[in-house]
Amino acid sequence: MSSRGWSAGRRRAFALGLAPALVVLAVVTIAPAGYLLLTSLTPLNLTMPGTAWDFSGPHYNYVDLWDDDRFHQSAWIQVKLSAATVTLQLLVGLGVALLLNHGNWLRRFARTIFLVPMVLPPIAVGILWRVMYTVDISPLHRFMAWIGLPVPPLTTDPSLALWAIVIADTWEWFPFTMLLVLAALQMIPDAPVEAAKIDGANDLQMFRYVLLPYIAPTLLVAALFRLIDSVKAFPLIYVLTNGGPGDATTVTNYYAFVQAFNFSLWGYSSAVATLMVVAIFALSWIIDRLSGTGDARVD
Amino acid sequence: MAKKGATRRTVIGAAATAPAWLLAGTPPAHAQQRRRFDNVTLNIACWAAPYARFIGEYLPVFTEATGIKVNYDTPGFPIYNQRADLELSTRGSAYDVLNVTFIYSSRWIGAGWFTPLDEFINDRSKTPESWNFADLLPGSVSPMKDRAGKVYGIPWVADVLMSGAGRFDLLRAQGLGMPNTFDELERAMAAVNGKDSLPAYIIENHYGWTFIPFLQGFGGNVFRNPPEDLYPTLDSAEAVAAAEYVGKLLRSYGPPQALGYDVDQATTALRMGRVIYSNNNHAFLRLLGEQGSRAETTSNFGLMPAGPKGRFPGIASHGWGIPTGSRNKDAAWEFIKWAMSKELLDRMVAEKGYGSITRSSILNDPAYRRRTMLNGVDMTQLYIDTLAFAQQGHMKYRTVHVYPQANTQITKAIERVVSGEMNARESMRQAQQNTIADLRRSGVRL
Repeated sequence: MSSRGWSAGRRRAFALGLAPALVVLAVVTIAPAGYLLLTSLTPLNLTMPGTAWDFSGPHYNYVDLWDDDRFHQSAWIQVKLSAATVTLQLLVGLGVALLLNHGNWLRRFARTIFLVPMVLPPIAVGILWRVMYTVDISPLHRFMAWIGLPVPPLTTDPSLALWAIVIADTWEWFPFTMLLVLAALQMIPDAPVEAAKIDGANDLQMFRYVLLPYIAPTLLVAALFRLIDSVKAFPLIYVLTNGGPGDATTVTNYYAFVQAFNFSLWGYSSAVATLMVVAIFALSWIIDRLSGTGDARVD
Repeated sequence: MAKKGATRRTVIGAAATAPAWLLAGTPPAHAQQRRRFDNVTLNIACWAAPYARFIGEYLPVFTEATGIKVNYDTPGFPIYNQRADLELSTRGSAYDVLNVTFIYSSRWIGAGWFTPLDEFINDRSKTPESWNFADLLPGSVSPMKDRAGKVYGIPWVADVLMSGAGRFDLLRAQGLGMPNTFDELERAMAAVNGKDSLPAYIIENHYGWTFIPFLQGFGGNVFRNPPEDLYPTLDSAEAVAAAEYVGKLLRSYGPPQALGYDVDQATTALRMGRVIYSNNNHAFLRLLGEQGSRAETTSNFGLMPAGPKGRFPGIASHGWGIPTGSRNKDAAWEFIKWAMSKELLDRMVAEKGYGSITRSSILNDPAYRRRTMLNGVDMTQLYIDTLAFAQQGHMKYRTVHVYPQANTQITKAIERVVSGEMNARESMRQAQQNTIADLRRSGVRL
């Protein structure tokens, strides 16, 4: 067999091997996304069946979005939520990982415990924090009041409600960063650490000049993954604040949800969702680019 | 011989199941249908109202009587509505019986998502005359009809907004009665707030329901002239005055997290004596007399207070309907018939103390009146008196197909006022702008 024939056969084998996965991908991802895009070009309202395939004004929903202050505000709230949650999750996850890096049995046990929030169903996390934030029954509020530092109701104060979501989301997801950083810390060779110790580096210098360069790419990847995931924040908002008070915690996907599920405006909601998909794609592309850079740096 | 044997079996079977028929209030003639429905399973959902909870407890009786099995679900009010709205829009067969929610009635019925029930009601082979459809309060049935007068839902509740004081003793200690006007309400709340370290006032945070009596009491409305003219009027001077008034009540006399109180929390706070007074639904205020209530002997009740322009209590009915996609319509009607039979409702009243009844024969029964007295207050008379206000036609705003849009904006507007994010004028202006945008997007010409 010629090498060209062998190569062609190999390509065919690869294509055949990939085909089932591509079919599944097309069915579960690309087809719904395509339907979403088509719907966004219609004024689909479930109470008016004739609107389902009405493409007479395919740009109307997008023009409307351009002028929709509530949509713009929801995007801004999303930016604030994402920035706060990702930053806090990185800091807390990194801090806890550094504390738990060296193992005795207690630290190993703590690692396992810290993973629990991440594996809880999101709705359970929402209910847990709803209890924590309900002044009448909250152990958190009672404790703070007992030590003389009463905390105002968080979820019904427009200046604090978003922070209530940030705190709950950070609690749920900092273990993700912790886990990645712990893995990265375990991979650091002993030699540079020993050398730094011999040179008299203190803890801060050890972190800044030895550990951080090794774990920086991991932190970057964790940050970008959490950034993408933060756009999907929904269960906590649904359970804790319903997007309120007012619109204080109405992020973009919650806004899309209200338009579709409360008002039956599925075309308009699909336009919001389509823009979100575009934003997620852009973020994914950035991740891909930055991850590649990160790998090169590690090498 | 065969005929004789069959007769004997029928007699024995009827005797064996007689207690079940008596309990369920279902006539023995339905024994014939039992076999017909033996393999039928109905999927039924309603929002988590006290009546719906009681029905859940009686379901084994229904299954025993008819052979129909039931998957029954009672999520919270907003979750139910979202789920039902979506399921109905598909015209699928996922549900056989659903609650026709008051604020969605026009939308769901108008879209043809529910089955007309007249053919079941008027067919004597399906519904005996003794079931007596005419016994249902006309005011509770009318939102369940389309323009042609066809009936799409059998109302199980006529819910009305009233006043309830779980700690009336604190009002009485100040020489006060149940507030009858907005002025009296504000003065009363100022007088009792903080007594026994209790907040004076709470309402359910579904302000698209609880705010409207104040809005209309000040002379405002949600739309200019519903259902014909749906131009929103949420930024009127009257609407701003009402928002300021409610904002002050909740901010100054409400608990710290007043915005977080849904209807269950508001009712529980009242029952547990953690708040003094509330404007709440009749069906939930009845729970102050249930076992476990700490307010049973300190409670008092009254009509929704009147504003400068009159008294406009919230009145809403919810009913059982059959989605058009259901494949078990006859069995679904059996369920509705059972769930709304006088016999079952009588039993529910006697055993559960249920009180938001839509059958006038029960409401006018002296024994029922006695049973539903609560701490010496004739709750049924208050209920009937409140229902009488429906003749004003002030609830027309609520059954227009785009009320859910206005409902959302009103709730958000009051949240902004109570939380101090905006003053009443700014907040209602924003609600007005947003509602106009949402209505236009829904195809309403303004």
